[in-house]
Amino acid sequence: MTGRVLDLAVHLLDRQVVDPDGGLVCNVDDVDLLFPDDGSPPYITALLTGPAALGPRLGGLLGRWWVSAYQLLGQRHDREPDRIPYELVTDIGSAVKVSRTRAEMGIHPGEDRAREYLVDRLPGAGHESS
Amino acid sequence: MRAADLLGAEVLGHDGSSLGEILDVRLVQDGPMLGANCALRIDGFVVGKRQLSAHLGYDRAGVRGPALVAAVVRRLNARNRYLPWADVAEARAGSVRAGTSALGPVPQLPDAAS
Repeated sequence: MTGRVLDLAVHLLDRQVVDPDGGLVCNVDDVDLLFPDDGSPPYITALLTGPAALGPRLGGLLGRWWVSAYQLLGQRHDREPDRIPYELVTDIGSAVKVSRTRAEMGIHPGEDRAREYLVDRLPGAGHESS
Repeated sequence: MRAADLLGAEVLGHDGSSLGEILDVRLVQDGPMLGANCALRIDGFVVGKRQLSAHLGYDRAGVRGPALVAAVVRRLNARNRYLPWADVAEARAGSVRAGTSALGPVPQLPDAAS
């Protein structure tokens, strides 16, 4: 996976991130850029995900509300998004493949808690849709 | 810095005139090694007037779709220009200053259909 040319907004942002088993991890909401001190071109060091990454992209009142709701529901008191180091990316195509699972990377723990304590306890939650 | 700080940022020419906004960031995978892969480094910026059609990528990627839609969108985006990183004088969150005011056309992606 070297030498490829792609456009950030068209080919990377909002793409789904999947683990080695094809399980959904998250979406790419933003990316972290490193600007080297020697003036060479900046490069991507991490994929960012979650409302704390999407909110600033949305901007305005909606973006601020989005981040605040995340802090409240996710019990996160910082404004830092979940981060997937670029080293874990194995392929970029119609989806972005990474080498770890969602649980291993600790992505969206608030969502996992909501599923465990709320959604899974709803009547019929054990019946998978076909 | 995040990409969100650059997308939508105003691009100023060396004479201070506005050249448009950053619509997209062209990436090439030949940066420093990160893990088993080369990093995606910034090659340049697609600059133009923000409009919905600019996000479809018809003007630079081999996006397949109805020929009439593609033709209309290409025409709408014909004024988009490309700012190579080598011509960037300063890049800050929300603002990019170019070392030139004459930008070239947006290069087609290597795998784009002609």
